[in-house]
Amino acid sequence: MKPILALSLLLTTSASLAAPGPWKGTVTMYVQDYTPNYPGQKVPLKAFQQLADAYQKANPGIQIKFSATPVPDNDTMVRVKAAAGELFDIYWAQVTSLNSTLPKGVATDLAPYFKQPNPYIPGNKAWQDVMNKTVLAETTAPGGAVYALSGDQVAYTVFYNKDLFKKAGLTKEPSTWPELLAAARKLKAAGIVPMHAVPAYPWWSHHFMTDLYSKDYAKLTGYDGAPGQSPFDEAVAIQRGLLTPKDPRFLSWWPAFKQFTDTWPKDYLTADPAKNYDAFQDFVGGKEAMLYEGSYKAREMKDAGIKFPIGSFNFPQLSAAATPGATGAYTGNAYSGTGSFQYAVSTNRANKTMTPDKLAAVIDWMRYFGTPGNLQKIVAENGSYVPSWPGTKAQFAANFDSAALKQQISQPNRAIGVGNASPNLGWGDMQKIFGLYLSGNITLDQAKAQAQTVLDRAAQDYARKNKVDLSKVK
Amino acid sequence: MTAPAPALPPAARRGLLARLRRGGLAYLFVLPTVLLLAWYAYYPAYIALTRAFTDWDGLNTPNFTGLENFRQAVTDPAMGQASLNSALWVGLGLGLAVIPPLLVAELIFHLRGPRRQYAYRTLFIVPIVIPSLVLLLVWGSFYRSDGLINQLLGTLHLGGLQREWLSDPHTALLSLIFLGFPYIDAFNLLLLYAGLQNIPGEVIEAARLDGATGWRRIWTIDLPLLGPQLRLIGLLAIIGNVQYFISPLVLTGGGPGNATTVPALLMYQTAVKFGQYGYAMSIAVMLLIVVVVLTLLSQRLGRLSQGARL
Repeated sequence: MKPILALSLLLTTSASLAAPGPWKGTVTMYVQDYTPNYPGQKVPLKAFQQLADAYQKANPGIQIKFSATPVPDNDTMVRVKAAAGELFDIYWAQVTSLNSTLPKGVATDLAPYFKQPNPYIPGNKAWQDVMNKTVLAETTAPGGAVYALSGDQVAYTVFYNKDLFKKAGLTKEPSTWPELLAAARKLKAAGIVPMHAVPAYPWWSHHFMTDLYSKDYAKLTGYDGAPGQSPFDEAVAIQRGLLTPKDPRFLSWWPAFKQFTDTWPKDYLTADPAKNYDAFQDFVGGKEAMLYEGSYKAREMKDAGIKFPIGSFNFPQLSAAATPGATGAYTGNAYSGTGSFQYAVSTNRANKTMTPDKLAAVIDWMRYFGTPGNLQKIVAENGSYVPSWPGTKAQFAANFDSAALKQQISQPNRAIGVGNASPNLGWGDMQKIFGLYLSGNITLDQAKAQAQTVLDRAAQDYARKNKVDLSKVK
Repeated sequence: MTAPAPALPPAARRGLLARLRRGGLAYLFVLPTVLLLAWYAYYPAYIALTRAFTDWDGLNTPNFTGLENFRQAVTDPAMGQASLNSALWVGLGLGLAVIPPLLVAELIFHLRGPRRQYAYRTLFIVPIVIPSLVLLLVWGSFYRSDGLINQLLGTLHLGGLQREWLSDPHTALLSLIFLGFPYIDAFNLLLLYAGLQNIPGEVIEAARLDGATGWRRIWTIDLPLLGPQLRLIGLLAIIGNVQYFISPLVLTGGGPGNATTVPALLMYQTAVKFGQYGYAMSIAVMLLIVVVVLTLLSQRLGRLSQGARL
């Protein structure tokens, strides 16, 4: 009798968890690149709408409404709508923004829900069990809160124009750093611009530093006791002088990288990374041979109607001969960002309609679409991102040769970098110093001094804002 | 014998309430404007002023932090560089706001026949219809390493003068300041042209008889009589340039390094990119103080020069 009673209790609990509760109404959502039926798309996406239709059918009285209004600046949209108390019930936002630059109180802490079972996943004891543990750890805010359900990632690779490579007599994709340099010089000699972009420091530095610091990976990611490198890990490593110019590995790769950018036109070297949108137009227009970008660009290239064949290759292997201190570790996937499947839930402060009953319904809908199977469906249909939860598989759009992306996501992901200890560190302060060095406006010694200053300030900012004494961390 | 002091008018004696009662209807008509002005202009200014002393994040209740934001601003090396950039911009911007429109206004004014004057006036005013952002983007393409300016220099065999205009810290700021040749601000041109038209014909005739023609006439007759217009243009140029940040935002993002960063851009980025609204408000307050000081200074200088002429 007892097992039957236990089973009945379990079913009752599951059923009550699965139910959206008494609330009836419309749940508003902004799902960024996964928006179904987006106006103007040649082949509109359907997956999210199909899931919503099924959910609405099972729960009469609840409507799911997707916003298809373009959002040019997401953080500003969140701030403005939240200030008016009119933020979407569920919305896309970069976890890094939610954890640092966006005001506290725009998103509900989802950590307690992640610890509860998701009734839509058979046999699940805690929702977080099906998620990527490294991503979950890296996206956790310093106080332990998790503000977004994160399920996919962007893979970064070098896209190239096969026609221009052929024109320069290049028949093989570069697989080592010297080969990449040789290819760039050959393209330049043939009158072809090898690359014309803002060399985004957070992107490139991850590849080099993951190699150079590979022997210290466990130490650099272990200060917080969780997998992956969190802003806390980074701040501690800066405070200890490991991720600063005091360590010879920190800037040892800059001269090698400068050899590469010396083959580029200088227009974007010192620019803000936001200018990479303009640089992308150069690639689309066939004015440059290579483009280092995220996998989301595949769909944009398709929409732009690129006619030339596109290939891709991953960040090449380093060697000590070309880059002092290099270990030859695999770093093709060292930089990856959270993608378009990272959704936050409004608080009552940011959205005046968010009552406790409505929140229960919103969380239930989130649990419904937030299963590995549904994640796979949504991400695969778009073809630009990599679903990050165990058991899911990437499927890229067919408009380019995606072998390199498939290869890099099959490798274990290890990443070391610097840039998240304070909001302005990687994309702002370090980017400026990097650009000035690459454009020949400051020497390496000047760059070292400037970098040390901004890194020290970032670690101090982190300690002050999060009220931690970094020197006492074990 | 001293004249007796005039008696105060009855309305003044009755005080404010009586005045309000007397002009009730007039005040009622003015009230909506006053309310809108208070809500949309004075209240935001009050918010900026008071929240400069807090850690406001744009959403939550701010906490008082005293002078911490101001301390951060004055010790920030980026702010120091931005202030120097802004000073150069204000100085050169003042010259650009006054000299080219003045020269063009004089040239048009001295054309023979009103039809010719009308035609040239229109020619200089027409570009006003082009959105300023389009102008910025076009100039951004001119400044590219393969852009029009370098191509022109190459064609003229002046390859040695070719530069990476916006990515070289030595040329970036000046490239932004001198963007938009021939620098004819339509508003300033019309203001100065109208000022020239207002100079009485007898004065011009008398000057001509005294031999004041050409540059001498401009220097001794036109410039002194254009004083009010020049002061207004100068004042607006100072205020506009202290607050200006659009071209650095669109074309350089403040770089290379901080070579084109100005305080207003720093304020914008601090608030919009990094969510530090309290800190941004403190920069805004500092800008306000600078604008007020420069305005008072320019007015004082204007009065002094006017007094010296009388």
